[in-house]
Amino acid sequence: MTTSRFFTRYGTILAFLMLFVVFAIGVPGFIDPANLLNILTQIALLTIIALGFTMVLIVGELDLSFANVASLASVIVAGLMIHGVPALIAVLACLALGAAFGLANGLLVTRVGIQSLIVTLATGIIANGLIYMYTKGVSFYSDMPAGFLVMGRGKIGPLPVLVLIMFAVLFVAHIMVKNTVAGARLQATGGNVAASHLAGVNTRFYKVLGLVMGGVAAALTGVLLTSRLGAANPEGAGGFLMEGFAIVLLGQTAFSVGRASPLGTFVGALIIGTLNNGLTLLGAEYFMQDIVKGLIIILAVVISSLQTKRLEGKV
Amino acid sequence: MTRLHAAGITKQFPGVLALDSVDFDLESGEIHAIVGENGAGKSTFVKILAGVHKPTAGRIFLDGKEVSFSSPRDAASRIGVVHQERELVPFFTGASNLFLGQEIGRLGFLGAAEMKRRADDFMNRFGMNIDLNRPATELRSGDQEMLTILKILFRSPPIVIFDEPTAALSIKESAALFTLIRELRAGGTSIIYISHHLPEVLDLADRISVLRNGKNVATVRAPEVTEQELIRLMIDKDLEAQYPKNACSRGKDRLCVKAFTVPGGRFGNIDFHIRAGEIVGFAGLVGSGRTELAKALFEGFRRYTGEITLDGRAFASRSPRQSIRQGLVMVPEDRRGEGLVASFDVGENLAVPRLSQHSWLGFKRRRRLLARSERIVHELAIKVFSTSQSVTTLSGGNQQKVSLGKWFDTPAGIWIFDEPTQGIDVETKSEIYGIMEKMAANGAGIWFISSDLRELVEIADRIYAMKEFRIVTEFERPFSSEAILTAMMGQKPHSRTVP
Repeated sequence: MTTSRFFTRYGTILAFLMLFVVFAIGVPGFIDPANLLNILTQIALLTIIALGFTMVLIVGELDLSFANVASLASVIVAGLMIHGVPALIAVLACLALGAAFGLANGLLVTRVGIQSLIVTLATGIIANGLIYMYTKGVSFYSDMPAGFLVMGRGKIGPLPVLVLIMFAVLFVAHIMVKNTVAGARLQATGGNVAASHLAGVNTRFYKVLGLVMGGVAAALTGVLLTSRLGAANPEGAGGFLMEGFAIVLLGQTAFSVGRASPLGTFVGALIIGTLNNGLTLLGAEYFMQDIVKGLIIILAVVISSLQTKRLEGKV
Repeated sequence: MTRLHAAGITKQFPGVLALDSVDFDLESGEIHAIVGENGAGKSTFVKILAGVHKPTAGRIFLDGKEVSFSSPRDAASRIGVVHQERELVPFFTGASNLFLGQEIGRLGFLGAAEMKRRADDFMNRFGMNIDLNRPATELRSGDQEMLTILKILFRSPPIVIFDEPTAALSIKESAALFTLIRELRAGGTSIIYISHHLPEVLDLADRISVLRNGKNVATVRAPEVTEQELIRLMIDKDLEAQYPKNACSRGKDRLCVKAFTVPGGRFGNIDFHIRAGEIVGFAGLVGSGRTELAKALFEGFRRYTGEITLDGRAFASRSPRQSIRQGLVMVPEDRRGEGLVASFDVGENLAVPRLSQHSWLGFKRRRRLLARSERIVHELAIKVFSTSQSVTTLSGGNQQKVSLGKWFDTPAGIWIFDEPTQGIDVETKSEIYGIMEKMAANGAGIWFISSDLRELVEIADRIYAMKEFRIVTEFERPFSSEAILTAMMGQKPHSRTVP
């Protein structure tokens, strides 16, 4: 492997390591274990929702609804518990709601044949409407069961439960993609739907499955958000849309060229999380963080498109 | 007066001499047809005239002056080419499509009224009745086809090339097109007409040139030749010297199709059978239904009449998945579009159809899959460094081996190969033939679709000739290429032929 190939291939990971080292040396308090755990806690929700989006991207579709589905789940889980529904049932109901959104997205894409971009734009708007129908625009504050709050705020030893949940989801997603038959078929479907169909893969099913996993991950994120805040507001997860896209795109440049992968998404989340944390510690203004993040995403995508061109040149 | 003169046009592609010193000329107000087998060099010749390719050697003269086109755009005002594909902007009106790229306007505003008037004049001149105010998508298919042609004529180029223009037209539309071409000729336009339909060519052309293996073997006056003479000119004499093929040990029928008809569809009364150990060729022109028939069976169909049995069991399928389960697999023509997943490496591609068989509780058995991939790579001699090499970096031949190799250990009775050697180097071609022969020897039935009559005649045990979605004739060894070509392209187009 030539040097330039090495850099395009592992450039994203190297960039993260360099960023990490620079902050470790230059920013007091960054390397502190408590701060590092803090970074992981800060990226946990974003990582989980982006892992869902990663599965959608793996089957070759897009999802613009996940942030609104997460917000919807976050207000509904709070609302249900306020009305006395047991936490476990409230959580499961929300996950089922996320799955239902994914299923609706998937069926509209595969059976009706509408582009996922348009389908999920519409279902996202519907989710938003449902949020306001349910909340009338007000946030829910209430005492929530301790067992429910543990997910977002609890610790096992020094480790936040939220971080453990993130790693569990990452582990499951990674194993599924790398080691299971379903994972290989999800990737085949996204890679070339015609070839996969002719090879006997039930491509419609796997497209739906990808979108359903995206919906469930979004709902889970919404539930965890409510658990972490102890409250739910109508636009709680709104910010996840842009950031989720950003880290998945970043992640696509890590490891395999242009192929979304759970580990890649995690690397993307680490970069964004580290950047946010380091810049905050440095006292950078919030708007500076956004500008730097935007520039990094452009850089990553440029690298990725160079890689793709290099590969295509060889065909 | 000679409008166009091409002298000694030679085109060398890597490994292939596509055109070998072709001389060709075209008078003003003449229809000069070019015929030839698939791969004879017709389309390469057209592409050189249209400025798509640069000739390796040779000169082109227009009205006595030597020209050298740097691009299709450069050639477009002098030579208009009517391709087989539609080239319309879907949501533009017919008029806007006509004027595309040469809009009339003042100060950047479109002069709609003026364009409308000129378009109407133009349509009247050709006696066309197409509503130019409607978006192209709302026009009937034949009208869209016609509009594509009119768009090119609208620029009134002195030379127009028609490349298989009737492939997508109905009989009535074809007749209208012929009238239009004759009117163009009467107006002094020179026309190069390329078609597989010999009766059509004989009817329309003033002169006919026959290309064979990249050479212009004859230029004749149309009234002085017959269909049979043209076919004889098109055939490679070497073709007749067939390899003696061992009479295959034919087993019993593996696939038997009787009176297969899709109600309201194009297939009617298709009868054929493929025996164990047999390579059965399907010959036919593009659009004859060769690929469509294979895809109809493999990809599944909902409504049909007739009887299909595969290895003695009734065959019915609604998806490739069900076909594969019943023992039918297909290696598609479009390797990169339908055969391979570009983002996957060689091993991943090979695994796609056989994941369930190499798994435990839904987990891939990676070592078994790896061993299987390595066995396939070894057995088919796929040239890779490792099975984790990206498929996009492979040559066409090696990509084809991956595309067919993925079915390697499938217990399929019938294998469909659709143009398996297209765009593949000579060496790998013979390897692919070897693979097919070996599979047949192991008892599979091979359904072999090809545009290359040479390879069909060489490899197949039997050949079905298809035309207009019917099987017209069945041929046994020793084959007569002439008879097969006649079945494929002879007789009147659009008329039903009696088998």
